[in-house]
Amino acid sequence: MQFFQFTEEQDMLRKAVREFVEAEVASKAKEWDENDVCPVELWPMMGELGLCGVFVPEEYGGAGLGHTERAIVLEEISRHSAGLGIALMTHHLGTAAILYYGTEEQKKKYLPDLCSGKKVGGLSVTEPSGGSDFMGQKSTGELKDGSWVLNGRKCFITNSHIADVDVWTVITGQDEKGRPVMTAFIIDGDAEGHAPGRKEHKLGLRGSVTGDVVCNNVKVAPSQMLQKEGAGAKIAMTTIQEVGRAGMSAICVGILRGCVEEAVKFSSERILYGKPLNKIQAIQMMIAENRVEYEAAKLLTYRATGMKDAGLPCATEFAIAKYYSTEASVRCAKRTMDSMGGYGIVNEYPVGRFLRDGLASIPSGGTSQVQLLITAGATISGK
Amino acid sequence: MKTTTPADWKGILVVGELSNCRLQPVSLELIGKARELKQTCPAVGDVAAVLIGSGIAAAAAELAITGVDEVVLVDRAECALFHNDLYAAILKQIIEMRKPAVVLFPATARYQDLASMLGIRVDTGVAAHCVDIRINEKAEILAVVPAFGGKVLGDILCPAHRPQMATVKPGIFRQGEPVPGHKPKLTVFDAGSVIADTLKKTRLVALDTSSCAVPEGIPLEKAAVVVCGGWGMGSKENWALLGELANLLGGAVGCTRPAIDEGWMTDESTMIGTSGKVIRPKVYIGAALSGSSHHVCGMKDSDLIISINSDPRAAIFAVSDIRIVGDAKQILTGLIERIRAIRSA
Amino acid sequence: MGLSIAVCLKPVPDPAHYDKIKIDPVKKTVVREGIPTILNPCDKHALEAALQLRGPEGTVTVISMAPPNAEETLREALAMGADAAVLLTDRAFAGADTWATSYTLAAGLKKAGHFDVIFTGTESADGATTQVPAQLAEWLGWPHLWNAVAIEQTGETQLKVKTKAESEWSDYQVSLPCLLAMSRESNKPRLTSLMGVMKAKKKPLTVWCRPDLDVDDAALGMQGSPTQPGAIFEPEMGRKGTLLGGDADEIAVQLIGKLRSAGIAIETGDVCAPGGGGI
Repeated sequence: MQFFQFTEEQDMLRKAVREFVEAEVASKAKEWDENDVCPVELWPMMGELGLCGVFVPEEYGGAGLGHTERAIVLEEISRHSAGLGIALMTHHLGTAAILYYGTEEQKKKYLPDLCSGKKVGGLSVTEPSGGSDFMGQKSTGELKDGSWVLNGRKCFITNSHIADVDVWTVITGQDEKGRPVMTAFIIDGDAEGHAPGRKEHKLGLRGSVTGDVVCNNVKVAPSQMLQKEGAGAKIAMTTIQEVGRAGMSAICVGILRGCVEEAVKFSSERILYGKPLNKIQAIQMMIAENRVEYEAAKLLTYRATGMKDAGLPCATEFAIAKYYSTEASVRCAKRTMDSMGGYGIVNEYPVGRFLRDGLASIPSGGTSQVQLLITAGATISGK
Repeated sequence: MKTTTPADWKGILVVGELSNCRLQPVSLELIGKARELKQTCPAVGDVAAVLIGSGIAAAAAELAITGVDEVVLVDRAECALFHNDLYAAILKQIIEMRKPAVVLFPATARYQDLASMLGIRVDTGVAAHCVDIRINEKAEILAVVPAFGGKVLGDILCPAHRPQMATVKPGIFRQGEPVPGHKPKLTVFDAGSVIADTLKKTRLVALDTSSCAVPEGIPLEKAAVVVCGGWGMGSKENWALLGELANLLGGAVGCTRPAIDEGWMTDESTMIGTSGKVIRPKVYIGAALSGSSHHVCGMKDSDLIISINSDPRAAIFAVSDIRIVGDAKQILTGLIERIRAIRSA
Repeated sequence: MGLSIAVCLKPVPDPAHYDKIKIDPVKKTVVREGIPTILNPCDKHALEAALQLRGPEGTVTVISMAPPNAEETLREALAMGADAAVLLTDRAFAGADTWATSYTLAAGLKKAGHFDVIFTGTESADGATTQVPAQLAEWLGWPHLWNAVAIEQTGETQLKVKTKAESEWSDYQVSLPCLLAMSRESNKPRLTSLMGVMKAKKKPLTVWCRPDLDVDDAALGMQGSPTQPGAIFEPEMGRKGTLLGGDADEIAVQLIGKLRSAGIAIETGDVCAPGGGGI
């Protein structure tokens, strides 16, 4: 086996993204968190830099790279703003659903604007009945006079209030065994009857908008359907498993690096008993534990993205990476706060935000228990 | 490569700077230094100053009080606007005719440019942005120049080439003691043919000059009190406190680069440090700035240095007379309130 | 319409870390360990100016005289949008002052081809002499302007350039070929896109050493430099300070006392004692 190393291009690309983040994100992340606003105005710039369509082929306006590069982008952004991280990551979800399941016509219609950042993407699956009770969705689609009429309410939807292109799953009937048939549609954000609803006041990942999206007799042409009737479950499932969980893992790798760097910075600047805090062994242990967890999360995450890029099955690997990275980000943020004493709870420092962002990352893309169930299932069955 | 016989070169030539026909103070500072060098090493020879411009007789007369031995004047209509190719050609001729051992230039946008060009045209070395110049008994110059934003200083010598040239930023040296009643020799340099030759060949045309918008209030370099803020001020609202205090104390506001980057200050000429202004006010108040060597080089000669920073390890404290460890916003607000109370009492 | 443009670049130790620079007490050399190398910040403005002026059929060639690892910096410039890169690297070039640096760069540029405009930054963050632009133009026999803030192409071979000196703007007309040292105020350098990074690896990067250039050995590097470095040292700037304690108001009272004894009249804001600061 070869040891784990990014390519020269990937290192350069990371540096380029970091430059963007330091110029446009780092100094504003605190404000976005405090005011809970999503910087939609950054989309065109992120588009121009190739961040909006990082894994989309160049022929559709993307950067033509893979999921490893996408994870690098999300990690770098989330080092300073996990809120913007999840907003972009959700944009990628809508984009991925169209890229991997759309017709050539659909791809040509939607991907260029999603890649250029002219439009914001979204994926609306979760309903009030719960995200993990996947097939229990209540939203419906009915074919009337040659158009599909969609009705329903989605909740806990990231980009709910900003998405211009929204991929929805609805139940369009029952199969011969009486099971619900789930179908996915692309809805234009400004379609009549499609509207954002309640906006959630979140603990963390502020700087992204999360809320309800409602469809009230929204008419869509059959050409807006992704693949065929009944394909919705697979589309939503694989997109969440392999793009969504990858994104959440990368976001938390970013938070973890933030914890490592903030702990190092604070402990070298803060003087206690006449010497920097980092000379105290108890503090050194904390820094080392942060580093170990960051490295572990990084390895798990990038191994999974490498598998995805190689076209290998990777749902279990992403479940493991997502479980570990999100949980570790909470542990590290808490530990970093502890290492800072009273300063840890002062909002001048970003670590409190890291803790809130880490906590909010756990339910996104499935709770830790869901990831463990997937992992257990795969492990017991010998996969 | 050519080398020269140092003994053939004598005297110090100061290239004075005029802006809008007005003599720039840095010219007087350089003459002050040149006279000091002559005092240390009389063998170096006399101090002459050269002025190039149009309608500059009055400015030339101003030089008398500095005690300069000779004023060389190029007062020509063609020189009304700064033209680097033309000015350099004139200076080259003056240097080649006079053979000065040392030539000092202001390290300003225009005159450092001339110094650089002449380095090639007369084939010699130029020490840039000197913070000190010393001379030995053989009239050899040792220039002290900053590197890495002033974190390191290095001696620069020019052993085999003449003249020895150096540029110095405004504010680095002090003007010498005035010499009342002194009458320097006045030499009018006939630049007619070099001007005609150069204008025939040059591919550069000077079209027009206009003054930059001058920031309101007292210029930084003339203010007795300078209130300077750094990145730690945190917001535009907090930044306003600096202006308020400066107003109360009849001073000016300076800044470090982050304040420009953040948009709290828009004029780069308010930046203090190696890539900005060098100041020496009676009182310098530094608020929420770390004291990087870039910045410190621009204010270290202030009479009284007061600094406020929440980090007790901030480098600025090491160069401060009065140190306040605390939140700059609170301290500045407290000071402003106290001064207001005294005023209204 | 497209111009052939060259941009001079320099890799420098990141100025954000200059406070970490030390002098080795024994060897008396500058220790810059652990300080990352970046593209000189001013040079990004030069590159941006070049990319803006290039035109659809123009080319931008970046050139640097630097150690071999400068390839990385040049690749970054290619990723930002330059078309080709040239690295001049040889032990013989080391230790050059601005005279010898500009001489070597001029030789490299002459070999690299015909250029209409050469862009540079105004200064490098490390040495900050500001001399190389003018000196390079002198070697080439070209007109130049330092600290250009705006450029306008007014004819096929003519530019109108606005420069800034301390308190004045000046407008010039300059015929090509010419050299322009761009001010930091002149533009906002673009960010590098991911597409740019991927394209960069396919762009040509040429390395030339001493034998590739038509130069006189006696004019190269340290031995070719008219200025010679002497001792280096860290400036002594320390002061013995007094720490003020108390709450904000108590500190204010003490500060007012200090200001008064420095000659600042608190009642009026005037300076009462002469001497000291100002000009």
